Amino acid sequence: MIKKFLLILFGILCITNATAQRRISGIVTDMNNEPLPGATVVVKELSTLGAVANVDGHYELRLPDNKDYTLMASFVGYIDVSKKVSDKQEDVLNFQLTENSITLDQVVVTGTRTPKLLKDVPIVTRVISDLDIKRMDATNISDLLQTELPGIEFSYSMNQQTSLNMSGFGGNSVLFLVDGERLAGETLDNVDYSRLNMDNVQRIEIVKGAASSLYGSNAVGGVVNIISRESQEPWSVNVNGRYGAHNEQRYGGSVGFNAGRFNSMTNVQYTSIDAIDLSNGTDNEEVGDYSMIYGNSTLNIKERLIYTPIDNLKFTARTGYFFRERNSSESQKERYRSFTGGLKGNYNITDKDDLEVAYSFDQYDKSDYLVFGDLDVRDYSNVQHILRALYNHTFADKHILTVGGDYMRDYLMSYQFTDGGSYIQHTADAFAQFDWNPHKKFNLIAGLRFDYFSEAKLSHLSPKLGLMYKLGNCSLRGSYAGGFRAPTLKEMYMNFYMGNIFMIYGNPDLKPESSHNLSLSAEYMKGNHNLTVTGFYNIVDNRITTAWNQALGGQVYTNMSRLQVMGVDANASGKYRCGISWRLSYAYTYEHIKKGEPMLSATRPHTATARIAYDKDWNNYGLSVALTGRYLSKLTTDVYTEMTSYEQTEKQTYPGYTIWKLSFAQRVRNGINITLVVDNLFNYRPDYYYSNSPSTTGTTFSVGLSLDIEQMSKK
Amino acid sequence: MTVSQKIISLLTGVIALLSLSACNGIFEDIYDEPLAEENNEYGFIFVDSMTNTGRIYIDATDYTEWHYIDLHGKEVTTKSVEEPSPSNWDFAIHRYDAKTNGGAVAESNATDIMAVPNISTIPEEAYIVDEWTSDQITIDMSQMMDGVIIYAEDYYNPCLSKWLNVDTSTMPPIYTLSGKVYIFRLSDGTYAALRLSNFMNDAAVKGFMTIDYLYPVQL
Repeated sequence: MIKKFLLILFGILCITNATAQRRISGIVTDMNNEPLPGATVVVKELSTLGAVANVDGHYELRLPDNKDYTLMASFVGYIDVSKKVSDKQEDVLNFQLTENSITLDQVVVTGTRTPKLLKDVPIVTRVISDLDIKRMDATNISDLLQTELPGIEFSYSMNQQTSLNMSGFGGNSVLFLVDGERLAGETLDNVDYSRLNMDNVQRIEIVKGAASSLYGSNAVGGVVNIISRESQEPWSVNVNGRYGAHNEQRYGGSVGFNAGRFNSMTNVQYTSIDAIDLSNGTDNEEVGDYSMIYGNSTLNIKERLIYTPIDNLKFTARTGYFFRERNSSESQKERYRSFTGGLKGNYNITDKDDLEVAYSFDQYDKSDYLVFGDLDVRDYSNVQHILRALYNHTFADKHILTVGGDYMRDYLMSYQFTDGGSYIQHTADAFAQFDWNPHKKFNLIAGLRFDYFSEAKLSHLSPKLGLMYKLGNCSLRGSYAGGFRAPTLKEMYMNFYMGNIFMIYGNPDLKPESSHNLSLSAEYMKGNHNLTVTGFYNIVDNRITTAWNQALGGQVYTNMSRLQVMGVDANASGKYRCGISWRLSYAYTYEHIKKGEPMLSATRPHTATARIAYDKDWNNYGLSVALTGRYLSKLTTDVYTEMTSYEQTEKQTYPGYTIWKLSFAQRVRNGINITLVVDNLFNYRPDYYYSNSPSTTGTTFSVGLSLDIEQMSKK
Repeated sequence: MTVSQKIISLLTGVIALLSLSACNGIFEDIYDEPLAEENNEYGFIFVDSMTNTGRIYIDATDYTEWHYIDLHGKEVTTKSVEEPSPSNWDFAIHRYDAKTNGGAVAESNATDIMAVPNISTIPEEAYIVDEWTSDQITIDMSQMMDGVIIYAEDYYNPCLSKWLNVDTSTMPPIYTLSGKVYIFRLSDGTYAALRLSNFMNDAAVKGFMTIDYLYPVQL
């Protein structure tokens, strides 16, 4: 948008300067002959001369003389078109632009912490766009990530809690951010993914591989950054609802306005789903490791207010409340709450310097609601206060130096500590990164970060080096990055009598997990097609896990021996003028541990996702049809025959599966959107429900309706 | 001060205020405080001699203990599973399991201890006596994860133990209270009404049993 604005501004300036001999005019349209207002037409030979297309796509400019000139039309999201004008030609010159197939004009921030075009980022970044989210009518992030990316699997861990595996890395090794901010709280090493609803999300950026040089602890295996949408319309009101199988209900709404120097967006979403009886329709009550998925409900409220007192200064205030209740029995409901707030100032000191100062607060509580006695008793609270400063300086209009630092106060009270006690840890870090662009075809990025953790008495350095070289239609990228994860307060101080059965002890002497990540990638683009292949290799030292300790007669947190995780990600996509697009992604992951040690992997070696879609917009009707599928190969792994002794293992095989989803999203008139989704199209049902089986009971349907009131009020 | 200096100082002030006032979190008041276990009373915590009703609260978290309840003497005696039972007791509980001292139990449809059905309407065949078991009374769960559970051989009343259903076909198990009133015929021919109201303490720890009773039931 900013780019568009600048182009328009540039155009206006140019028009006022255009006071010469020959008048050239015409229309800029897309391939459907729809006008492209705001498209720019510039004269290549005269860098100050250009024009901007008006609402009808019409442009007009005056050339100083009758010499030969080249005119170039451009528009965000479209491929530039150049045409020559000679004195013999007529004075009308029309342009028809082709949409850029693979939104490479997309701006991303996660890989470098500064806004950069996707095609210019030296760190491989995958983007899930708002169209992808809308098409799928996605409610939560787990469903969306699994549909869009191979190598990602959400399954259940103990106590039916959600657990992530991303190419060999678990929930605590993948850092989840919302607009760059961390989330407090975890359950069995995973953040509460249901906090990350897809309401008002602009895009999701996924960077695989270590990123601790920018993000510090937890960015061992990757970063997932959810970017919120800023309201652009003068005002906007949306109400939406969805109904699906198992009485799944979703109701949401948003109100946004853009008035003078204020911009505000408020979102509310409520979801609920009944318990799912997996034995339904079978004569067997014990259909697997689990046979009943608990029902639950969530409420998510977000508010963000942006105030721009002067043009180069922006303040963003945000606050949020999240509530989830899980119906695990008639006597007891587990409750999860979060309170979030933040204040951020962005100051563009000069064209070359900008500064961000931010404070962020996140509290995540767990409590048990006891029906007998009507008591809501909290037994877990994680409170994080973070202060951050980030400064960018641009040298010679192209090299960017980024320096920054954070301070975090991390408070954790937990029922897993002695007498439900609490601990506090202070962490501080400083980082610097230099993004060097000596040539438009070559980019080098280097970064270093220092982290300090008070309770763990830990200092850690994380380096990064990334290179990109563009060769014709190819972009080659290579990087080395260090990752680490500091032992958490939970891992250091746990003292918990697990279900009155056995003890789990923390270990204050834990070493941090660390990783070395090497990645090589080649991207090929031509016209409507894009092919990217990435190979990666990770060495992971001191991964933190629990192991049985005979002397203590319980489980103790401990560091694992060296592990290697390597693999290949491949992605091919195409997008055509007629509205058809497709994407095929495949991931192969291989984990290796010292010979003689059992390989207790939970990572499926082969996974793939596929999508074919048709998107078309007419005046009063828009249609998006998408067929998406995901394939997960079978997994054969070692499991210990006894939990209290690690002498014997046996092979366990988890079956592979394929699931397809069909979605129809329709826009009727302006602002009325209806979405129909058929999930598990071919009625797949596991023979036995393992914790990593999909919790499906067969084909399901859902229908959603979304009304954009401000658009309905337009003609 | 310039505008930017003013704004920065304001921002710093707000940050300092926010972080100081809420270091360890906010909205603590929305939660209830659990009763501290050490101050808790166990045994017959409430007795109403007018209505012959009362409440018994037992810490039955330990797998190796039986808690013997004497309805006549209003007393609870705790013994290890290996120890002999005390001289006077009417029924006993171990975790969620129950046994009787030569009595029998019938399940009624009543869900309120004050709405006990007329004893004469309960058919004799509804009364279930204790049975000898070797796979009910779990005394050692420490090797459960290895699939080894050690049981004690003992008596067990299958009818009274229905007061809490633990469905282990799914993980984690689903606990469902029957909510029903059980008619307990003591060995001396008197009747009591028993109802398990809760099996957790305020901190949601399972194995804390709250039993409401009516004794003796007027015939």
